Amino acid sequence: MTKRYLILQDGTVYAGEAFGAPATTFGEIVFHTAMTGYQEVITNPIYHNQIVMFTSPTIGAAGINHRADESIVPTVKGVIVREIADVSTNRLQSMSLHDYLKRHNVPGISQIDTRALARHLRKTGTQKASIVDVPDAHAFDQLRAMVLTTRQVAQVSTPKAYANPGRGANVVVLDFGLKNGILRMLSDFDANVTVLPYNATVDEVANLDPDGIVLSSGPGDPRQIPDETFDIIRQFQTRVPLFGIGLGHELFAIANGATLQQMPVEHHGMNHPIREQITSRIMFATQGQGYAVNPDSVRETDMFVTHIDMTDGVVQGLRHRDYPAFSVQFFPDTAPGPFEATQAFDEFMEMVTARRGGWLS
Amino acid sequence: MAKEIVDAMAMQRALTRITYEIIEKNKGINNLVIVGIKTRGVFIAERIAQRLQQLENAQIPVAQLDISTYRDDATDRGSKAELDIDIDGKRVILVDDVLYTGRTIRAALDALMDNGRPAVVNLAVLVDRGHRELPIRADFVGKNIPTAAAERINVNVTEIDGVDSVEIR
Repeated sequence: MTKRYLILQDGTVYAGEAFGAPATTFGEIVFHTAMTGYQEVITNPIYHNQIVMFTSPTIGAAGINHRADESIVPTVKGVIVREIADVSTNRLQSMSLHDYLKRHNVPGISQIDTRALARHLRKTGTQKASIVDVPDAHAFDQLRAMVLTTRQVAQVSTPKAYANPGRGANVVVLDFGLKNGILRMLSDFDANVTVLPYNATVDEVANLDPDGIVLSSGPGDPRQIPDETFDIIRQFQTRVPLFGIGLGHELFAIANGATLQQMPVEHHGMNHPIREQITSRIMFATQGQGYAVNPDSVRETDMFVTHIDMTDGVVQGLRHRDYPAFSVQFFPDTAPGPFEATQAFDEFMEMVTARRGGWLS
Repeated sequence: MAKEIVDAMAMQRALTRITYEIIEKNKGINNLVIVGIKTRGVFIAERIAQRLQQLENAQIPVAQLDISTYRDDATDRGSKAELDIDIDGKRVILVDDVLYTGRTIRAALDALMDNGRPAVVNLAVLVDRGHRELPIRADFVGKNIPTAAAERINVNVTEIDGVDSVEIR
């Protein structure tokens, strides 16, 4: 086994073993606590340019199954695990995680004490990291000199509009780093979907006569989004049902006057109980967030908080008081995740149906 | 053979959506009262009120309305239905489980008017199955379910039926 090293910006060095591609890599390190769904995580565009560390001890036991792809190629810069599974017995797999990462030139490192590293990152907050062959001064110089991009959305969003046809409601999806799960869910309702790039204009949306609009999830800081997006939200939420997810939720919040804060410890996992305020129902869902809506700022707006994370009180859902417009911070497409979270899609499509007088097609 | 067409989750969701729509349409919950038509309309009314309370932290008055003496086919017509809340000048949400011919709602409106003069009356129903015989429509609909006149729609609520569901037979 080839020895490799994970080095952090604060000078910490972890020795491990290579898997995946042999390349040197740099990125912001995040840790994910889910026990399943590694493939969906490493192909989710919200982790674009990041190195993802899994705290679950063995990763790779289900191999790679292309039905679980959330984008065409992996989006992460590297994968850190305690142990990479040697054997996978999933009958749907077409290759191992190791072969997949190698094919797409993404390096991995195993035999890292991921739980110790998670505790370390909880203390220090998000850091830049690198997977290297030699942890010398030169490697640290390069790591510290690395500038993280703040234009992730422009890098992952589709450059051109495209259709995902269906025979039902006409839905426009704004792509801020769309994951396949969102399209999969809309296809379940036979929606006729048009995906527009992140920098779409009000006119481009209006010309498509949408019955409903979805603001997709996506990576990074909401401040990178063009101003016109907020005009789209403010204008169309008065006309058709609007549904924000992840970054889309954050944009919906900003468009309606709420403020965001960066989280000291990010949420990347699926073990936090989330309460739906209106029914007090408790649910679980996959989360991936580095920013959170400031709950105090919501009181000054025309929105209410609909969902709350029970572990730390972080806002997980919003709804407009006057319009059929709402948003969730978590991933309701459940790829991966507990299926109960899909209720948000039922809600959205039922609002679209109700507005068309109760009938679709 | 009864066939379940709305399960418990979908029913909860429909009631949740109706609740949000009530807030949207009324621009809040000021002056709101909810009147449920006996029997199952009352339970649905209470659930909407409970949701409004969870969301807005305010107690919304809920009343039961017995319209049996107002039915156009009733033999003992004439005795007045008593409401135990004041509806004068209020925004009334009238709630029933199924909207069908519209005759029940006509009777309910008469019963309401005998008890005061509401500012507004809106109608919320869990199911609209069509086949109206009077010019009546609902402002808030949980589910539109197209039916044949010969079919029956059954709404079950946990409070008395042990389960939340809508069945067609």
